[in-house]
Amino acid sequence: MSRLNPTIPRNYVSLRLWEVVGTAVFNLFVFTLLLVYLFPMVYMTATAFMEGIQLRDRNAPPYPSQQLYVTYEGKEYKIYTVPFGDETRQLALVTPGRTSSEFIDPQNPAAGLIQWEGNWRQLVGVYEFHATWDNFSLLFRSLRLPEMLRNTLVIAFITEIGVLVSSIVVAYGFARFPLPGGNFLFYLMIATILIPEKVTLIPTYFIFVRVLGWNGSWLPILLPFFFGNAVYIFLLRQNFKSIPKDLDEAAVLDGAGPLRTLFSVILPQSWPVVITVSLLHFFYIWNETRQASLYLSTRRDLIPVSFGIQNFQSLTPVQNQLQASALVIMIVPLLVLIISQRYFMRNLVITGAEG
Amino acid sequence: MHTPNQSRQRSARRYQKTIGLLLISPWLLGFVLFKLLPILASLGLSFTDFYMLDPGKTSFIGLENYARLLQDDALGYLVVATISRAIRTVPLQLVASILLAALLASPRLKAPTPVRTLFFLPSIIPGVAIAFMWYGFMDPTTGWLNRFVLPAFGLTGFNDVYSDAAMALLYGISSLWAIGPGMLIMLGAMQSISSEIHEAARVDGAGPLVKFFRITLPVITPAIFFSLIINLIAVFGGVILLDRGNSFRGGGAPFDDYITYWMFDQWDLGYAASVAWFFFVLVMVVVVALFSWSRRWVYYPDREF
Repeated sequence: MSRLNPTIPRNYVSLRLWEVVGTAVFNLFVFTLLLVYLFPMVYMTATAFMEGIQLRDRNAPPYPSQQLYVTYEGKEYKIYTVPFGDETRQLALVTPGRTSSEFIDPQNPAAGLIQWEGNWRQLVGVYEFHATWDNFSLLFRSLRLPEMLRNTLVIAFITEIGVLVSSIVVAYGFARFPLPGGNFLFYLMIATILIPEKVTLIPTYFIFVRVLGWNGSWLPILLPFFFGNAVYIFLLRQNFKSIPKDLDEAAVLDGAGPLRTLFSVILPQSWPVVITVSLLHFFYIWNETRQASLYLSTRRDLIPVSFGIQNFQSLTPVQNQLQASALVIMIVPLLVLIISQRYFMRNLVITGAEG
Repeated sequence: MHTPNQSRQRSARRYQKTIGLLLISPWLLGFVLFKLLPILASLGLSFTDFYMLDPGKTSFIGLENYARLLQDDALGYLVVATISRAIRTVPLQLVASILLAALLASPRLKAPTPVRTLFFLPSIIPGVAIAFMWYGFMDPTTGWLNRFVLPAFGLTGFNDVYSDAAMALLYGISSLWAIGPGMLIMLGAMQSISSEIHEAARVDGAGPLVKFFRITLPVITPAIFFSLIINLIAVFGGVILLDRGNSFRGGGAPFDDYITYWMFDQWDLGYAASVAWFFFVLVMVVVVALFSWSRRWVYYPDREF
């Protein structure tokens, strides 16, 4: 091609070609890696739609399927791929045997029985795609999912308000005001993130449960969020600091108090990070099972959905039902993440650029 | 002699400090109520034989709990198990998140946001779902690992998914499903490198590998350090950024499980508190050591915290 246009150096085209091929290879590699990375999810999704009988069939394909069958003289017979010398035929098994079996031809049942020498167990069935919703309906019948879902949403809503209001106010304090001891309190807050939960749990649990009698109540789960969360405060503060100070100084000159400044100057410019933090908190609450297992094991009607599904594991050891429950429990965070991906991903990435 | 202006400035500053203190007071109060007092109470409890069901009979027993802890056969096991857990997961997570961030930062990547979202996805789904998936995937009879993945490489499957070795492997592999936040933060740091720097390096004849080791890696050291801390705290059983609960059998951190055992199976809060305090000191020593070590290799471009 370079001969057509002699002004372009010879290697120009090959370089561009190299670019295109390189990009294609690179993207192919990333997509393959993604498939490998998420492969257990593919397994989960496929298994969630399978019937139990398919799980017991060693020759069944990986996708939800059922073996084809034919009805002959009022009875159902499964169809297998049967080898006859060089060719294979798809025949329905009538009398299975270890050394010889009898089949009929599904296309032509009237032709009568066909003899075949060999162990029928080595034959592979003929399958067609077949998905079932049974696992999900069983899940909805055996767990009180709507009630659990409501519990999770109420807990999420209450703590969302508590943690956002308190964290925003505290982050504003850390971002804009001089504090006694300089940065000491801020470093102290960062350090609290690293304190193992168990050290604080022993007395806290005793006070909540034995002294205040809050066993079987949401209070021990809800209350701590009203005092802010160190990680959220950190993220919000970093963002508030990046807003030029001239803006709130102008607001102060106009006679705005600190809270007015926060709500009329700082917050309107910080919606992306506020949304990111509230999403982080939603994921946290949705996935949370520890606190629930500590305080709610006596009140089945108050448990959140993750904890309920976790208990489902002890009720059923059947893989297709377990995978269905896994799909049910992850579908909400999955949808929330996908809907919010532009906000959420970009802001966590920006945090990295600033941090 | 103060001029009126100076004293006005000083009182304005005092006013600002008061407002600041008021604004952060929710966190300060929460810190005292839910961190400081419980930690001190835990320390106090660790010097007693406090029994959950009969708090009235509590008596001060001095360092007896700690003497008992040092003779406890479990202690050595707990320390070794925690270290081996850290060795099994943290380096793997760090390398994987650096490489993944480098891939996802590439301008060649098509549809960058959806691809990044999908790589991030496993980090936000509940631990319950993850446990079900991995157990199912590795199930000897119905799981795909034995039925499709291993045979594709000409291997025969393993039979006991609940053996210690299989559990350890499972824990290590599935820790790769928690690298999302660290990976995103590294990605952000990589994208903050201006293209002029890369261009200048290219003009100077640096290849992709040299650029990666000489430019990218030093710039993202703060993000690497951050990931190191979150991953390590997760090994210790703590939670930073994204929680997912714990539902692998034996998936809880060793110290966590042991403290839970003394708390809820034996009701011996005094001993549980001494184990917890020992663990607390251990974690703090590790964290302080890491932070002072970080000064030698983490690159901070004139940053003010």
